[in-house]
Formats: sequence, C-alpha cells, structure tokens
Amino acid sequence: MKCVICNREDCENGYCELHRKAYESIVKKYEVWKKALEISWKEYLSEIIKNPLTGEWAKEVAEYLIESGEK
Amino acid sequence: MVRARMGKYTLIITEKPDAAQRIASALDVKGKAKKLEDNGVPYYVAKRDKDIVVVPALGHLYTVAEERSGRSYYPVFSFKWVPRYVAERGAKQIRTWLETISKLAKDAERFIDACDYDIEGSIIGYCILKYACGDKDGISKRMKYSTLTKEELEKSYAEPLPHLDFTLIEAGRTRHEVDWIYGVNLSRALTIAARDWSGKYATLSTGRVQGPTLRFLVAREKAFRSFVPTPYWEIKAEVEMNGSVFEAEYEEERIEIKSKADAVLNACKGKDGQVEKVDIRQFRQMPPIPFDLGALQREAYGLFGYTPRRTSNIAQRLYLEALISYPRTSSQKLPPAINYKTILKNLSKAPEYKKLTAELLTKPELKPKEGKKEDPAHPAIYPTGNLPERVLDASERKVWDLIVRRFMAVFAESAIRQSMKACINVNGHRFYLRGRRTLKEGWLRFYEPYVRSEEVLLPSIEEGQTINVRKVFLEDKFTKPPPRYNPSSLLKRMEEKGIGTKATRANIIQTLYDRKYVRDERMVVTDLGFEVLEVLEKYCPTVVSIKFTSELEERMDKIQTNSEKRENVLVDAVEILKPVIEELKDKEKTIGEQLSNAIKRARLEERIIGACPVCGTGKLMILYSRKTGKRFVGCTNYFKGLCKTSFPLPQKGTVRPLGKNCRGCGWPTVHVRIRGKRPWTLCFNPECPLKEERRKRIEMRNMQ
Repeated sequence: MKCVICNREDCENGYCELHRKAYESIVKKYEVWKKALEISWKEYLSEIIKNPLTGEWAKEVAEYLIESGEK
Repeated sequence: MVRARMGKYTLIITEKPDAAQRIASALDVKGKAKKLEDNGVPYYVAKRDKDIVVVPALGHLYTVAEERSGRSYYPVFSFKWVPRYVAERGAKQIRTWLETISKLAKDAERFIDACDYDIEGSIIGYCILKYACGDKDGISKRMKYSTLTKEELEKSYAEPLPHLDFTLIEAGRTRHEVDWIYGVNLSRALTIAARDWSGKYATLSTGRVQGPTLRFLVAREKAFRSFVPTPYWEIKAEVEMNGSVFEAEYEEERIEIKSKADAVLNACKGKDGQVEKVDIRQFRQMPPIPFDLGALQREAYGLFGYTPRRTSNIAQRLYLEALISYPRTSSQKLPPAINYKTILKNLSKAPEYKKLTAELLTKPELKPKEGKKEDPAHPAIYPTGNLPERVLDASERKVWDLIVRRFMAVFAESAIRQSMKACINVNGHRFYLRGRRTLKEGWLRFYEPYVRSEEVLLPSIEEGQTINVRKVFLEDKFTKPPPRYNPSSLLKRMEEKGIGTKATRANIIQTLYDRKYVRDERMVVTDLGFEVLEVLEKYCPTVVSIKFTSELEERMDKIQTNSEKRENVLVDAVEILKPVIEELKDKEKTIGEQLSNAIKRARLEERIIGACPVCGTGKLMILYSRKTGKRFVGCTNYFKGLCKTSFPLPQKGTVRPLGKNCRGCGWPTVHVRIRGKRPWTLCFNPECPLKEERRKRIEMRNMQ
C-alpha cells in the first residue's frame, strides 16, 4: 500500500511513517485549538494550512484532509 | 643536499611547514634558520650547540588502506598503514616529501618528534619516524609545547619527553583503523548498491560518527516538518511614568484560551494601575571561562556567523603564527605556568589593549575564572602575547581579538547587576514591569564588544504609586517548532553526546553538506539525507546508534590511559560490523533502488531556486530546453498550465541556487560563477529596486 500523499511504500492507515507522524500531530493539536478558539475541524485545518509555522508534512496532510473530507 | 656538508645532526619532525620554520628560527642561536629545499620540499637548518635539521610533514603522510587494491568491493577487514600517495589519488607530492625525509634521516643521530601534541600529531610523527626514518620511533624524543613562541619552543627542546607517547599513538591508530573499517565498508555498500541499480555513480558515504550525526538532524527535521503550532495570547500593558512609556507583562505569561484573554482585557480597559510591590535585587554576573575549541567555535558562530570549520582553520593559522596557543583543546583551564603577567604585558603593546591590560596588571593577584573540563595535553586557548607580524585579514583579526578579550575577561572582577520588578495591579489583575541595569561593569568592559546583555532602565517606582495605564492589548502568538540545527548547535550536540573528537567534528559536519545530505545554514535535511538514514536505520541500526558510538569513543579513550587494549576494541568493532555488512549485501537491490531514486530527486532538488513570486504556488527551477539544450529558469506550474514565468540564464559557467532571497525585492536568487570573472548574485526581478539603484550609480559614475 502506498502513502496517499507521497506514494511512499510501507504505509499504515494510508500514510507513510513521516506523514503519519504529521497526521497524529494534527489530531492531537486539534484539542488545544478547539479549547482555545472553539473552532470546527475544517476551520482548524484551514488555519493550520495558512500558518507559516506549520511544518510542510503537516500542511500536506491538512490539505489532503480538507480535499478528502476525512477526519 | 645539506647533509653532505654537515656532520651528524638532530632531526626534528614537525606537522606543518609553518611550524618547521618557526621552530627552526626559535632554536637557531641567531634566530635565522637557513631554509633549504630538496625536490621542492622545504626544510630548515638551525645552528645551536649542535646542528639541527627541521623538516615538516604535510599533515598526515600515512593513512590506513586495504591490503588488496581496488575500490569496488566490500567487505574489507584487512588493512595496513601506507604512504598516502599509495591510497589516494592526487597525493603524488607525498612521495617526494617522504623521500626527502628518508634522505635527511640517514645522517641524523638524534630524532625529535615536534608535531602537535595531540592524537593526530602523535600519529603523524610516529608514522614518519617508523616508516620514513626506519624504525626510529623507539629512540625518538618528543617536544611538547602549547604555543609556538620562542621561549616555549626553546624550553621544550631543552627538556623533551624521553620517548613518544605510545598510549596516545595506540589510541589514535585504533581510532583511525576503526573509522576506516566502518567508513569504507558502509560507504562502499551504499555507493555500490546505488551504482549497480542505476548504472550511475554518485559518492555516498557514512561512517561511525557521520551516521549518528545525520540521525540528530533527521530527528529534528521530522519534528520540524510535522509541527503543528497552537495559538496562545500574551497580554501587555503600556504604562506611562515620568513622560516615558514602558511595557508591562501580564502575570500569566501565556493564555491558551482566547475568551479568557478577552475577559482580562475588558476588565483592565480604561483603568489605572497601582504599584503593589517593588522588588529590587542585586546579583553577580561571573566572568566567562576560557575558550576550549568548541566554545570558541560557538562564540564565533554566534558573533560573526563563522562555521565551526572556518573558525577552526582561522585558529590554526593564528596558532602557526604564534599568536594563540594550540586551539584543538578541550581544556577550560589556564595554568599559572603560562605566565599571565608576561602575556598581559606583551598585549599592552597593542594600543587597543593598553588600558585594559594595565588595569589587570595592577591587581595584586591574577586568578582566572576556569571551567571544569581538563585536557591532559594542552591548556585552554589563550593569546601568547605576541602581536601580529603581518596585517591579519578581517576574519583572523576578529577571532584573535575575541580570544584576547576573552583572556582578559577571565581575570576581571564579576559584574554587579541590578534587576527591578514592579508589580502593578490593574483592577485585580497583576502586570509586571521589569528593568535591568549594570551597577559595576567588571568583566563586561573587558569583553566588549562581544557582551550580550540588555539594559532596561526604569525610573524610581514606589509602592502605592498610581500608574497611568495608556492601553492594555493582546498579542496573538503561536508556539514555534523546535529550531533546525545550525553548524554550531549541531557541534554542541555532538560534544554533549560524546561523539567524534574536537579535531573531527567540524569536518564531519562539512561532509554532510558535501554529500548533499543537508543544505543551508539552518540545516535542512535533503531527501537523500532522509533515505540514507532510513537505509542505515533499517538494515544496520547499531551503526547509527548514538549509544553504540559514544561507548566506542569511550573505549578508544581508555586505550589512552592504558585501561583498554587496542586489539580488543578492533576485534569487537569488526565483530559488530560483519553481520551488518552481510545484511546490506543481501538487500543490495532494494537499497540500490531506494538510494538511486533519492539521488535522482536530490539532483532535481538542487535545481530548485525558490518559490515562484509570480504565481505564488509553483517553484522556480533551472530547466534545459529540449530544442536547444540551453538552460533557463522556469516555474514548475508551467507543466500544469498554470504559470508561464521564465527568465534567461547565462549559458557559460556555473549557476547555483543561492538559497537566499534578494535583499531588495525578496525574489529568489542564483549565484553565477564564470571563469575569469567575479562571481555575482543574479536576481530575476526586472523591477528590483537594487537594479534601479545600480543603474543610477553607473549613470552617476559615467557623468563624473
């Protein structure tokens, strides 16, 4: 199975090791954002995509999540 | 050849030509040693009680090499020490060098090794005495010195150590041999795997220290690229006192819930404050400790932006000119034997240090502030007191001045500083106003302009005083990712984890750049760097293990103190490596494919100049026209039909992305280098303000 983002092999749940780490970070940090700003998952993803401090793998995952509508 | 006209003499071996010239001049009774040459190899004849011939090496003249010839096979576990010209291409000069040394050794009756007193210097001297001079390592004496000043050289010549430091040599030989076995086998495994899969050659390398160092970088890069920032808020109050405005910070440094921050803001709006408490404290700021090599490299990076390797090279030049002591030291101590007073007196001859040294010399006792680290071979880095005999270039001048000022600062008094913290209550919410000032400069004055301390002067504030709060405001903030390593912080990490040695760390960092595993000053790991480490972690986790590397370092250090045997370390190192190499060989095809693809991507990545400033989403890249073969810059979105941005490029010379944006307009830039011309930076923006400025300057010049 290949990574849905970068096509690397050896994937788990659709993500390669690198993008999986980014995905986990996105899910974990949503709790902090929700508490801070009371925003929805989609708004959160848009915010982190815009943010220049977001790492590039995290941005790629966030973009994919918005496009695919997945959580 | 001089030996025909001379009787028996003492032959002194030095590590570098500059050191030979300085030692010969210091030992000659008239201070003027005669320079001679044999086949282009310089050597010096000094007259003293007996004739002395001083011949330099060129760093290492011998190296470890495999017993069988050829470069395209592995594993290789049998090795021998050979002259460098046998093992390395482009080292032909070494042959004549060794021939001259051998000739000079024939008529010598006494041998002295005067190479730098450390592991590398000891091996250089030992190999020359053993192989080029014909087993003279057993009868040779050893000069030990930390500066190339006349006084110290004369003393070390008059009182040499009775024999070579064989434990140091054993430790050094083992280190070279272990590093060679690991480096050659692992690097060949990677290079051959990639070459056999793709049919194209690219040098890939790794080693006992290089692998774990790359691992630090990859771990940080992963954290950086997966980072998701979280929001928080800081609340500040602008307060007015005696006509000046100051900024006070809210008692909670960061608030993680916006509604909570808004509530504080609303409660404080339009309210005055009252000073609840004023806390004034005095504290001593101790002088800094003397430089060891790592600390000097970090300071020079922080102050001047010099890479560790550059600082190390500059320090080596300053040492060879007898301006500073031996720089490859890990000591933070300055023993009284170096004679503090004489050094300061000599430095006082330079106008810029006259006042400061005079002040130190009036002290009843000179006692340096020292650190904990010791080095059995050398003290911390210090100026010799000699003043430059030539005009130093700007970088040499800066590093020398830094070392001189640090040396003076360690003898100075502590600085006394005062901190003031006023607590202002605004409608039940506390804000803190912080000030800091220097009451007594102490060492800070000696270390100027390299002191980094901030002064925030506050007016006098009394408890109960009413304060005019001009406004209270929120600052939107986000948590930041862990910073990428730079060469200086990486060097510090290597030191902390005990991998590599002070002499090798800077070069290992440079190799990571040379192999294109990393790029930029803030070290970004490339795809190739990721893939190489992934292969190593997957198939040979032991060799990139930081624990394994530092344990091996410890064992090699123990050889130096006779508490470990060289043979045991070598046998164990080979035993660990053997199964690793077998595994790499078994998986050669898979590894080859992975690495070849990474090399391909790395070559593409090298051609990316930066983000396209026109469409904002594509990347500007160096491309080649299919029709004409000419190179130009185009946007990667062209292939998606989204952006047609393109710019011409010079067709001659080399063009390399600079990795920095234009300081005039922020567009990405390239560095152009054409033989016979001065290299220049090319910005593609036709409306760049710098281009306009330049055009005007040329017009003005033409008018004049």
